[in-house]
Amino acid sequence: MTTLLSTDGLTMRFGGVTAVDGVTLSIAAGELRCLIGPNGAGKSTFFKCLTGQYKPSGGRIFWRGRDVTGLDSFAISRLGIGIKTQVPSLFDGLTPMESVGLALRRLHGEAEARRRAVRALERLGIGALGHRRIGLLAHGQRQLVELAMVVAPEPDLIILDEPTAGMSADETNRAADLIRELNREHAIVVVEHDMHFIRAIARKVTVFHQGRVLMEDEAAHVFADPRVRDVYLGKAVS
Amino acid sequence: MAPGARTGLEIGAAVIVAAVAAVYLPQVLELFSLINATVWVSMAVLALSLGLVWGFGGILCFGQTAFFGLGGYTYAVASINFGDTTWAVPLALLMPTLLAAALGYLMFYGRISDVYMGVITLTTTLILFKFASSTAGDEWNIGEAPLGGFNGIPATPPLNFPLAPDQQLVPEQIFAVAVLCLVACYAIAKLVLRTRFGRVCVAIKENELRAELLGYDVRLHKLVMFALAGMMAGLAGVLFANCVFVSPTMFSLSYAGQVIIWVLVGGIGTLVGPVIGCVLVQMLTTYAGTLSWIDPNLLLGLVFMAAVVAVPKGLLPTASGLLARLTGRAQL
Repeated sequence: MTTLLSTDGLTMRFGGVTAVDGVTLSIAAGELRCLIGPNGAGKSTFFKCLTGQYKPSGGRIFWRGRDVTGLDSFAISRLGIGIKTQVPSLFDGLTPMESVGLALRRLHGEAEARRRAVRALERLGIGALGHRRIGLLAHGQRQLVELAMVVAPEPDLIILDEPTAGMSADETNRAADLIRELNREHAIVVVEHDMHFIRAIARKVTVFHQGRVLMEDEAAHVFADPRVRDVYLGKAVS
Repeated sequence: MAPGARTGLEIGAAVIVAAVAAVYLPQVLELFSLINATVWVSMAVLALSLGLVWGFGGILCFGQTAFFGLGGYTYAVASINFGDTTWAVPLALLMPTLLAAALGYLMFYGRISDVYMGVITLTTTLILFKFASSTAGDEWNIGEAPLGGFNGIPATPPLNFPLAPDQQLVPEQIFAVAVLCLVACYAIAKLVLRTRFGRVCVAIKENELRAELLGYDVRLHKLVMFALAGMMAGLAGVLFANCVFVSPTMFSLSYAGQVIIWVLVGGIGTLVGPVIGCVLVQMLTTYAGTLSWIDPNLLLGLVFMAAVVAVPKGLLPTASGLLARLTGRAQL
């Protein structure tokens, strides 16, 4: 299967602290990959390196075989990568229609952007909120608005950083269904530490520990591995 | 009402108000008052430029007067040397635009944060103030134009009809031109904000990271917005030079601070608000100067403190909110 995104020895240092230490992995088209690990494992730093928010200290990032290391976030997005941040990153003064429309206006004319924006909001079940100001929406609704902005331009790959952060159990279950549905059309990388959510969606899992890849395997094998339980319980891992 | 129709209506209303002012005021105002009104209009263009870049671009420029002064000085020097103002005006728009573009490039592409941006722009105008103040003497002549040090260039020529240097505009005509420029700047700002570029700028102000993650080059958008506002400030400088004359005061801390107060009083995030704030504060300043029982600066200070407490969002947004509440329109 075609490799979309890959890293080779990706490293990110902050002074004397190495947050991401030589990570090598690859994401294929159509894949649903979960990056897991306890707090401080380096997942979010890795996410920020992939999405251009941090310039890596070492290693390379490739998109469809092309070296894209050090590109700015806007250029990463233009490659066809949709990015959702952990804390909903939204335009609070605008409406969902305006926001999703803006996500589409880079690619489409005004009328087509509006048509696709309506479709994206309806697909995520928030069509009725299209003309409310985003600042007035509840947390779960805001997560969905951000997801609509990410999904609407139909990216090849979607990277989600802790998509269920702050969600209720019910909202988390719905998010899991939604991610599985989105995976029919897009490759997805989910950075997450909620193991229940990961169990609900995961196929292939990469486990981060102390900035490195501890293991990478099918979900069932990962969850059965004692090393994974140990890192989540804070035990030392050889 | 559709946003496009509303924009058209607002621009149409501004044109009507401006046309009435341009025709009616010269007939009823004495010459001194008319020149004073022209100064206010030129300052209103300056306030509008800051209202655009701050209120819609999210860029707090403490030194908008750098472009204002540079526009005025370029106009004065060029018109003295050319003996004609026809080409002096476009040159006076170009120079502040280039300065804004260069400064903006350094700030935005250098990833300078908002606070430091304010410091850099303020420092720029103060450096220009210091420089312009120290240009007395013949060695500081540019062609036939003496920069004049702290005294500036009192012989700044008034505008003439295009390619007709012998036909200079009279104060009534200069007032009309100033009002026309104000309306043109308002209409341009309105229309720019309706374009995709304008909407992206507003989105960047709302959330820079999200705009970038949607694939928009934030730095480029900010740069273009900053340069556009710099050009408007340069135009304000040209108009100001036509009713007073150019001097280092145009770059001063006093002016740099005042323009921020005008925008704050009128309301950030609106285009008409800064214009209203500018005119009201200037009217108040003029009135305070006529009072003998209180120090004018003390009175102005008290009024500003009261304004910040009573209408923290500024006059226009507060008035709009009240009107919406009275008419029962939901604020969603």
